Amino acid sequence: MADETIAPRAPGQDSTRETTAPGTPLQDSRRETMAYIIGVAGWLVPGLGHALMKMWSRATMCFLTVGTLVILGAGMRGNLFSSRGNDAFDALGYLADLGTGTFYLLARALETGGADVSHAGGDYGTRFLATAGVLNLLSALHAYEAARGRKA
Amino acid sequence: MNAGMGLKLSHLQSMLLFALLISIAFGFLSRRQPIERVKYIVWSLLLFLLIGVGIGWAMYPFSR
Repeated sequence: MADETIAPRAPGQDSTRETTAPGTPLQDSRRETMAYIIGVAGWLVPGLGHALMKMWSRATMCFLTVGTLVILGAGMRGNLFSSRGNDAFDALGYLADLGTGTFYLLARALETGGADVSHAGGDYGTRFLATAGVLNLLSALHAYEAARGRKA
Repeated sequence: MNAGMGLKLSHLQSMLLFALLISIAFGFLSRRQPIERVKYIVWSLLLFLLIGVGIGWAMYPFSR
């Protein structure tokens, strides 16, 4: 697959260059705002942040890996934490699960039978779901940093 | 897919799938060139499996 960061870009689309070039305060402010939007978009829909920057292969792989982890985790009847947790671990699990963005709702829709962690598969499923969330947060952060002009 | 039925995977299958998916994601996020990505993915996958099996064997004496 061709690397998307090699392709030539228009002057306004230089967000993937290796280092940040000094710009006017207005340009910097605009870039920062765009970076936030890209970061949030990447969190809401896995891969969307990279897609907005035309980093197609990274966008596709983020979408597929996070999506597959969510589908497998829900299919294995992993525990999808809710906001009504009893302790700190539940709260951390909820934060991790929320990291999948809109895929959290997909996992909820897939788990029609509810969680079943009485067997190893369900426990693995819980880890798959949490990992999908953390991985998506990492991906969104990567997109944000790339949009700011950091090395990506 | 009917998730209500529950997907049945063995321990090894779960670990393999997990390691493969995470390795692919890491490879694509941290490397630019395709050849570098493949090298990173293979290396990461091998380490995941090696360390996973290693930890499994390290816990074996305490399992009984």
